[in-house]
Parts: sequence; C-alpha cells; structure tokens
Amino acid sequence: MRAILYILRKEFLQILRTREMMAILFVAPLIQTVILGFAITNEVKHIKLMIVDQDNSRISREIARAFTHTDRFDVIGHSHSMAGVEEAIHGWKAQMALIIPVNFQRDLQRQLHPRVQLIADGLDGNTAGVAMGYARGIISGISRDYLLSPQRRALVKNIRLVEMEPRLWYNPDINNAQYMVPGIVVVLLTIIPMMLTSMSLVREKEIGTLEQLMVTPLKKYQLMLGKIIPFLFLAFLEMAFVLKAAQFIFDIHMKGSYALLGSLAFIYIFTTLGLGIFVSTITGTQQQAMFVSWFFMVFMILMSGLFIPIDNMPALLQKLTYLNPMRYFMSIIRDVFQKATTFHYLLIDVIPMTIFGLLIFTFSVLKFHKRIG
Amino acid sequence: MKLRSNRVFSIARKEFFHIIHDPRTLMILFLLPVIQLLMFGYALNLEIQNVEMAVVDYDHSPTSQDLIEQFQGSKFFHVFPYQGEMSDVESLFLSRQARVIMVVPPDFSRRLQHNPATSVQFIIDGADPNAAINIQNYCEQTILLFNETRNTRLREPFSVEPTIWFNPDLKSTYFFVPGILALILVMISALLTSITITREKEMGTLEQILVSPVRPAEIILGKVLPYIFLAFMDASLILLIGILLFHVPFQGSAILLALLTTLYIITALSLGLMISTITHTQQVATMVAQLVTLLPTVMLSGFIFPIASMPKFLQLISYIIPAKYYLIIVRGIMLKGNTLMQLLPEVGFLAAMSTILLLIAWRRFSTNLEA
Repeated sequence: MRAILYILRKEFLQILRTREMMAILFVAPLIQTVILGFAITNEVKHIKLMIVDQDNSRISREIARAFTHTDRFDVIGHSHSMAGVEEAIHGWKAQMALIIPVNFQRDLQRQLHPRVQLIADGLDGNTAGVAMGYARGIISGISRDYLLSPQRRALVKNIRLVEMEPRLWYNPDINNAQYMVPGIVVVLLTIIPMMLTSMSLVREKEIGTLEQLMVTPLKKYQLMLGKIIPFLFLAFLEMAFVLKAAQFIFDIHMKGSYALLGSLAFIYIFTTLGLGIFVSTITGTQQQAMFVSWFFMVFMILMSGLFIPIDNMPALLQKLTYLNPMRYFMSIIRDVFQKATTFHYLLIDVIPMTIFGLLIFTFSVLKFHKRIG
Repeated sequence: MKLRSNRVFSIARKEFFHIIHDPRTLMILFLLPVIQLLMFGYALNLEIQNVEMAVVDYDHSPTSQDLIEQFQGSKFFHVFPYQGEMSDVESLFLSRQARVIMVVPPDFSRRLQHNPATSVQFIIDGADPNAAINIQNYCEQTILLFNETRNTRLREPFSVEPTIWFNPDLKSTYFFVPGILALILVMISALLTSITITREKEMGTLEQILVSPVRPAEIILGKVLPYIFLAFMDASLILLIGILLFHVPFQGSAILLALLTTLYIITALSLGLMISTITHTQQVATMVAQLVTLLPTVMLSGFIFPIASMPKFLQLISYIIPAKYYLIIVRGIMLKGNTLMQLLPEVGFLAAMSTILLLIAWRRFSTNLEA
C-alpha cells in the first residue's frame, strides 16, 4: 500500500510539475466545450440571397420583403438579369437567388399558378437543402395568406384542415448545446484516460525509466495502479468541471442524478483506461501512442452518434456501432442529462458497456504484464 | 545564414525512412483519411427514416383511421398503437420505443366536419434537437398531404420552382472531400511536425545537434520536407478516391490547386513550428496542436457546419483559421472552376498568415536555442 502511495505521489507530482500541462488539462476542455456547443448546429442562418424581381409588382415586392425580415436570409443585393446571379454565385457572393418572373402578378390574378424560381448553390448539400426548405416555407406562407385573404374567402369557404400542434419535450427551445455538451464530456472521458495514460506509460519506455522502475521493489500492479489512478482522478475532475461550467455558460441544466451518472462514468472509464494501456503495449514512442490513440478516437467518435445520429446510418454500420463502447455511454449521458432517465431504463446500455469495460481492461492489463515481464 | 542543400537532404532522408519504417504511422496517415472519407460518404445522411411513432387514438372513427393510414403510408414513419395510460406516456421516450406520439382527440371527426381547423397533438422527443426538427417537418408534410387529398380546392395560388446548381442531388461528399483534404493536411503539417520537433527537445537531442556543424534551419527544413512530401501523397490519394469513387467533379486547374495546396501546407507548417517553440513535452504539444489545429479545422472552417450560422465571436475566430480559406479555394477550383483572380482574397490571407507565423516561429526558435 505504501508503495502505491509513493508512486501515486510521483505521478501526481510529474503531472502537476508541468504547469503547461495543468493549464491544458483545464483550459482545453473548456475551449472544446464552448466551440462544440456553439458551433454545432444544423440550423442555417444568414444565407446570402440575391433577389431578381423582374415583375416589380405589389405581390412581387411583398415576396421580396418577406426575405428581408428574417435572420435566416441576408439580402446581399438586387440584380435584373440571370448573368448577375451567375456571377454572384460563382464568385461566392451569393448562396441563393430568388427570381420573380415578368407578369407574375398578372398571371396570379388570372389564376395561372405562376412560379417563382429559387436557385441554390448546392456545394454544401445540407445547407442548400435546409435553405431551400426555409425559402419554400416563406413563399408558401405568402401563398396561403393570399389564398385566405378576405376578397378570396368565398372561394375557400368549405375548407376543413387538420392542424398540427407540436409539443417538444425535454428541449422546447431547441437548444443544441443541451444535446452536444454531454457528448463532449464523453469525448473528454475518452481522450484523457486513453491518450494520456498510453503516452505516460510509453514515455517511461521511450526515455528508459521503465527499466529503472523495474529494478525497484515495486510490483507490476503497483506501477500500473500508480499510472492509472491519477488519470482516473483527473478525468473525473474534468467531467465535473466541464459539466458545471457548461451549465453556467450555455444555461442548460442537468435533469438526472449525478450519483447515477458518476457511477456509470466510472464503469466507462475502465474501457478507456484499458484502451490506453493496450495502446502502450503496441507502441514504442509517444508519437506512435498518440497516433494510435487518435486512430481509435476518430472511429469511436464517428461511430458513437456524437455527430452522425446512429439511426441515420446504413444498416451494416448501425450493427457495427454495437462494438463501440463509446456508443453506450453516449446514449446514457444524453438521456440522464436531458430526460432524468433512471437506471432500469438504461440497462440495455449499461450491460454491454460493463462487459466491454471488463474485457478490454482485463485483456490490456494481462498484455501489459506479459510485455514488461 | 547559408543553407547546405546536401545536409538538408540527408536529414530529410533519415527522417523519411524513420517515418516509413513504422507501419503504424503509415497506417494512420493513409488509412485514416480513407476510412473517414468512406464513413462520411456513406454514413452521413441527415435524413432519418423509420421514425418510431406511437399513436393514441381517442376518436376511433374512420376519419382518424384515415389520418393514421396517411402516416403509415409514409416511408418516414413506423406507426404502432400505444395501449397504455396517457399518464405513463413518457415511458415511450425513456425506453426509446418511440420518438413521436400522435394524440388524436376524442371528438376529432366531429370537429373536423364543423370547424375550419382541428388540431392534433404531436409530442416529439426533443432530446436530439436536429432529429426533432426533422420529425416535426415530416409530420407537417404528411398532414399537408392529408389536407390536400380532402380539400381539392386547396391548390396554392403560386408555387416555387427550385433549382440547385453544381450539386443537384445535394450529395454531401462534394463537401466532405475538400474538408477531409484540409483536415489531413493540417494534421500532417501542423500536428506531426510540432510533435517531431518537441520530441527532439524532450529527448535532449536538439542540444546535441547544436554542437554539430549542422545549422538549426537545416535541421528544421530537413525534418519538415518529408512531411510535405507525405502531405502531397495523402492529398492526391484523397482526391483520387473522391473523384473515382464518389464522382466529385473537377472543373478547374489542377496546377492552380497544387500551387495553392503548397501555400496551405506552408501555413500549416508554420503553425506547427510555432507550437513546437512554445511547448516542452510531446504530451503538451499533442494537446495544444489538437486544440489550435484539429478542432478549429473541423469545427470553425465551414467543413461541416456553416460559419454564418455561428455566434459572432466564433465567426470572428474563424477569420484566423487557415482551413477556412483553403476550403473556399479547393471547393472553388474543383466544383466551380474558379480562377486565381476569383480567389485572390483567400490566397492573400494565407500568404500573409504564413509570413507572420514563420517570422514569430523563427524568432522564438532562435532565442530558444540560444538560451
């Protein structure tokens, strides 16, 4: 026991001694959280729009005006010809163009169902699709108003409509941060134990101090505990820090139980610590350790549902995600944070996560023992 | 300070063999971007299908049945009846059995006969806000269809003719191929080089070299050259896959793209050099490099998320992210056939940024060595 305390003291001193490391360990997650929390949004705003009003009538001006009243579109200018549109879109000045053809109002009054043209720069497929949706929404709103305007009421007297009354539970203001921040905590609980444990173990090999440690009376498991406990501790500290700071910065609130989340996080960290130890056994330098950890990280993140919802993936990839330990904790933390989900609902995630954690951890520790033995 | 090219090249050769002798590094350098590309190409599909929808029908009329069938007929929904108590409806969300619940009120069909508008409640699991918005849109579309079939006079007085340029099918690969290009170049040029140089510091070999006749500039150049070469190889590989497998068009000049890619690599290298002058251990260099290169390149460059939708302070930060300019360059040349004249502001920015970063890195590096 004393031996473990000594090595723990050495490890903590080593981490604390590097002042820049301490700064990084607390500043970096905060920056990551702020950037990810604010930047990740599928909402599209300030689409650069060019307007070509060839009709210049009351209704065409009304349509054009509707686009200036929303922060989804920024009207960057008017043109009279298609050449102007072409130039603006090719030169990155406009992303979208609204073209109202000549005689639009006349055709409308004659009930010829005229069409306004919307051109979108499709390079960013997602933005273009969303922007097109907004624009159609605005235009069909005006169209509907026109249809139901008092002078035309008589025509539509017998209309009977079903109306949708949407209720958004858990996140009525559509605050993306509430969804992303818990996800970022998972990334932190993965990076710190995995990358730093592996680099710290390999560092001893690289600079030759592992042999020195081996000739001391220290047992192997003591060495191992000394290496992993500090990062376990740091990971927990960071989780608490980021969760608290984010609730303050983004004005979001943890709905569930901290005790439940903490204990499940503890199970998850076994997986990432295990991976860190595993990486250290297959690499010889810190650069390699960093790289291999990075490789695991990218996969785990892509297949966890953090950015790409698992439900949207092709069936085969969806099945592959069941092999990803991060997937389970991602669902757990998002549900506990947002829905206050209780333990028995989470069992479908907790059971596979625990199995993975135990398997990976045991395997890695055995491999490490064999390696240095 | 005079540079000897033969010294530079012998260092470069040593470093190059050092890199390629390690299969792990090679695997990461070449396999990772390819897999990322495939994943983004095939996995990233923001359109959800088979949304689980629970239905609570208090009306039990032919009309309510019609409405339910309208949802069953849509490929977006998988509809199932909910038999339990209304007070316990949340368990559907907690156990992830449903993402939306439709509640048809008891007097639905009677009200629909007499009132111009009758509302039906849709409770949506908002835990994933993007999915929730999509689900809401699909519900709205389905209701619109239901209304249109029952009200033939509802035809809109005017409508929209949508046209999409450059990418009519709205494929996301057109956007991701340039994005992954920018990412991998930054990863090799900034992340790897900063760690390589920090490694020499940590191991104490930098001092050893100092007493040898080789000049610091020669060491740096020699260390950096192989990475430039690797970066180019990687870039070509990504482009080839993009063009051959995902059919991303290439409209503009390949020479212009190669030249401007070199400029971007120089910018990223200067950033890497800068990082290596301010850190002392590889662990710290790794963390700093990730923070100032990878994260902003993925998040703030317009790679996935449009810059214009971000809050103002993040938009301001995005102005100093090299990838932001490089993405416009690659997308412009490949997809729009832009010429150098159309890209002058971006090119100017990258050039200015490289000069400033190099100057700072150089001054810091020299003082570091002398101290």
